[in-house]
Amino acid sequence: MNGGTPPAIAFREVSRSFSSRAVLNNVSFEVTPGEAFCLLGRSGMGKSVTLKLAIGLIQPDAGAIYVENDNIVGMGEDGLSKVRSRIGFLFQSAALFDSFSLHDNLAVPLKRFWEKKPDEEIKTIVQKNLDDVGLGKEGRKMPAELSGGMRKRAGLARALMLDPSILLIDEPVSGLDRVTASEIDDLLLRVRKRDNTTMLIVTHDTREARRVGDRVGVLDNGNLIAVGSMDELATNKSALVRALVSEAE
Amino acid sequence: MRRYLDFIGNIGLFALRAVRRVLVPPFEFQMILRQIEVAGWKSLPLVLSSGFALGLVLALHTTTTLVQFGAQAKMPAVQSLAFFNEIGPLLAGLLMAGRVGAGIGAELANMRATEQIDAIEVLSIDSFKMLVIPRIIACSIALPVLTVFMDVMGLVGGYVAERATSDLSVQLYISRAFHEVSWAAFIPPTLKTAIFGAVIGLISSYLGYTTDEGAEGVGRAATNSVVISSLAIILIDVVLVKAIFFLFPETAI
Repeated sequence: MNGGTPPAIAFREVSRSFSSRAVLNNVSFEVTPGEAFCLLGRSGMGKSVTLKLAIGLIQPDAGAIYVENDNIVGMGEDGLSKVRSRIGFLFQSAALFDSFSLHDNLAVPLKRFWEKKPDEEIKTIVQKNLDDVGLGKEGRKMPAELSGGMRKRAGLARALMLDPSILLIDEPVSGLDRVTASEIDDLLLRVRKRDNTTMLIVTHDTREARRVGDRVGVLDNGNLIAVGSMDELATNKSALVRALVSEAE
Repeated sequence: MRRYLDFIGNIGLFALRAVRRVLVPPFEFQMILRQIEVAGWKSLPLVLSSGFALGLVLALHTTTTLVQFGAQAKMPAVQSLAFFNEIGPLLAGLLMAGRVGAGIGAELANMRATEQIDAIEVLSIDSFKMLVIPRIIACSIALPVLTVFMDVMGLVGGYVAERATSDLSVQLYISRAFHEVSWAAFIPPTLKTAIFGAVIGLISSYLGYTTDEGAEGVGRAATNSVVISSLAIILIDVVLVKAIFFLFPETAI
């Protein structure tokens, strides 16, 4: 690692295969603290796998993954637990717990990390986070009663419960109409402005990448074929990269 | 053949993991109580109605046969011995495998498919301890209790059948039913269902928790949970009955 401020997330020559299919192939990139880095690519190109690698849900076949200077490859459960307490994760499906109310979904992380926190205090924090994402009156609802956009906002609220310094976001606007997608992007921009949260966003939506991302990496067949701002990528030598970027215009 | 051996080996490793984790805090008491409600309380109507119906049918059949030998008075004893020894434990186990096993398999597979298990892990919560252990414990606590209810309802069904053809009083029916039943004929067969429950919880949890087939895997996990749990219970029952006969020879009819 270089001197100075370490990157919030760094992938160093990371490879990962499932059965005989290489999903990631020697992928290296860095996300600096406070930056929003978008991974762009078509479906099945290894974007979601990258996020799961970044939080230790799956282990790479080769390479190193640093989260704020800690190499999480081969790290034990205790170490991973500490690293994960600094990371929020918004899943593509929001992954709300079906059998819990919205309020209880958000309370889970607090109850686990601060076992001695009084219920009243937990309730107040949960309510504040629900208010922040515009779901202040929906706390008693079950996930099945929420629309796709509401579920995404609830998932984001849960991901932010422990005030993470890093947010991993998997396809935040997939399956949403343009207006709702724009609301989710607004929410991400607001969170970032307010908390200076580092974001690693996986998306296939080039408009979102242009709007939310500081830099964009393009994944294709497990290879990171380009990294840069959207304007830089517009003049990339790869026709695929140029085609992807032009979709946003 | 290798696939089956793999499956048995993986179930064994899953069981070892469960044994190791069950003694390590934090203990998920709330989740265990919640699962006892799902596995036990919500299965009660099914168990009560099935026990009553089976008791009724069994009594109708046995009475016809016993009358031929002039032994109709033995009907309550046959009824209680049949239910306490085998019908109650086995039927309660099979019903739980059907109702609860399918539910566990489908619920955990759905949680896997919709990334809820990943979400638990991301929150630094041991998903195995939170989801699997409480279900195994809840099944092994709930099933013996359900078995007692099944036994009682079997006797009630038997009495209703008897009452339709004779003037046998409740007191005399109960007296005859329990006259030849020792504690050894009741407690070991009832307690063996704790093992049935653990097996149902273990197999169903394994099939749901480890599925990686997305939405398609949910249905498969539910079906396989019922089929494999039921088969396992019947096979284990053979071993346990033999073990009970060995340990309590007086229970062998």
